[in-house]
Amino acid sequence: MAPGAAKRRAAGSGALTRWSAGATGHTAPAIAFQPVPTPSATESPEAGPPALRVTDLVKQYPTGTQALKGVSLEIPEGSFFGLLGPNGAGKSTLIHCTTGLAMPSSGSIEVFGHNAVEHYTEARKAVGLAPQDLNIDHFLTLEETLDFHGGYFGMRKKDRKERIGELLEAFSLADKRHDRSRTLSGGMKRRLILARALMHRPRFLILDEPTAGVDVELRLELWHYVQQINKEGTTILLTTHYLEEAEQLCDRIAFINGGEIVAEGTTPELAAHYGVDSLEDAYLELVGRKELSRAHVGSDVA
Amino acid sequence: MSSTTDRGAGVTDAARKPERGPILGEGWVRFTALLSREVSRFWKIKRQTLGAPLLETFLYISVFGAALGSRIKTLHGVDYVVFIVPGLIMMSWAINAFSNNSSSILQQKFQRAIDDQLSSPASPLELMMAFSLGGFLRGMTISTITFLTASVLIDLPVEHPLVLIVALMLVGMFFAQVGVLVGVRAEQFDDVSFAQTFVITPLIFLGGVFYSSALLPEPWQTLTHVNPVYYMINLVRYGFIGYTEASVALSLGFLALAVGALMLVNLRLFKRGYKLRA
Repeated sequence: MAPGAAKRRAAGSGALTRWSAGATGHTAPAIAFQPVPTPSATESPEAGPPALRVTDLVKQYPTGTQALKGVSLEIPEGSFFGLLGPNGAGKSTLIHCTTGLAMPSSGSIEVFGHNAVEHYTEARKAVGLAPQDLNIDHFLTLEETLDFHGGYFGMRKKDRKERIGELLEAFSLADKRHDRSRTLSGGMKRRLILARALMHRPRFLILDEPTAGVDVELRLELWHYVQQINKEGTTILLTTHYLEEAEQLCDRIAFINGGEIVAEGTTPELAAHYGVDSLEDAYLELVGRKELSRAHVGSDVA
Repeated sequence: MSSTTDRGAGVTDAARKPERGPILGEGWVRFTALLSREVSRFWKIKRQTLGAPLLETFLYISVFGAALGSRIKTLHGVDYVVFIVPGLIMMSWAINAFSNNSSSILQQKFQRAIDDQLSSPASPLELMMAFSLGGFLRGMTISTITFLTASVLIDLPVEHPLVLIVALMLVGMFFAQVGVLVGVRAEQFDDVSFAQTFVITPLIFLGGVFYSSALLPEPWQTLTHVNPVYYMINLVRYGFIGYTEASVALSLGFLALAVGALMLVNLRLFKRGYKLRA
């Protein structure tokens, strides 16, 4: 059974997604996260195409830098997939190629079977992107930020209005509805970015270092939230530098380095691949810094 | 909130109903959202985007109309103030269409807020037209207010309304497209201000907003005739007061061709993602 199918069945038992803001005492109302149904999802999810299929993807910048060197990757529908690698490894370039922010030099990208370059309309409708940068338009209020985003994705006005209400409540931002986004704190901006990514009910959510620079409470809240929407059927691709985050959240993880996928598997599979005990040690092997392993540090101290 | 996420057995009644799409399709919804964002941007800072240009235009009318008007009186049988107002109306449309689009695009590139539009399903044509029309509408708003106010203050005729409307629309779209072109190509704010200060403004001022080229000595008269803005001002002036120094048909034809060519260039830039997508 495909992971997505199993998760959808779990969601069918009545699971609701809410921004769990227990740490700050908020009690946000429940919000249903309903990705747009598609024939592949409703009729035969097991036979549907993967959420993302990247084949021999090459991205060479005009400067001559080859950021991706023939990357091939497949993310099954419903999975929670982690993409780990050092700075400059190609994580963001892969995401940018998938979402149309970068033009691939060669190779192909398919999102739920739709070619992301030639049939970008359907491919992009399926993707929600929460970028690492807080790229919110400072002129706009929170409501406008979500409303325009919904419009860019072809959502009708009535649908947008309802969805904005749901999301602002769910992310504990309802009282800021008419405030300009530049007045928000960093944590609130991060929540707004996530709400914006979810506005058009994507089936495939890409989180590019979503917890970089956020406090512990927000990080934990975000973990709970994305785990829940993943259980409800949304495929998630997460890039992060926090290995415990990837370990906690992801079904499968790929290591990318120097523009190439160098290993892929579950945490135990990756550890076994590198002949170590933990994901962190596997990562340190990847970047050639095994002397930084906590085991070594511990033995040095002892 | 009654809701369910079950896409299998428990699909809600609402979800079973056939989806009724927008009247003109998703493309129209996307385009109107993109355009609304552009209009919302200049409307939110209207003191800067509408108030300041309006004040500037009225200062021109006051200074040139009152000060020079008392000396020049008439040009080609027309009151001097009436002679310059058509050029000022055109100038406000042109400069505001240009500056709105160039700064809006560059600002969004800086904030990376443009990524939200670029990663959406919006087509290059939808993106290009929305950015273009943002500045076009800002210029139109300022020009319309200028025209209405000038009509109250002076006896401003409209001799050829059809030519006037077509000419103003083409001029507005021409500078809107130039603004998009500069905004897309620009990498820093200096690029935009350079284009405006050293190219656009001199072309407009030397195109004959405040004078008739017939009064200029050679070689300035001939040089004025190679300035494309000269033909635009003559078109608009013809629409208002019926006086022109250039062929109306040829000017309209070349202006329409220039607008078409710029639109094609910009569309190609958006398709390629030039300086927009990595």
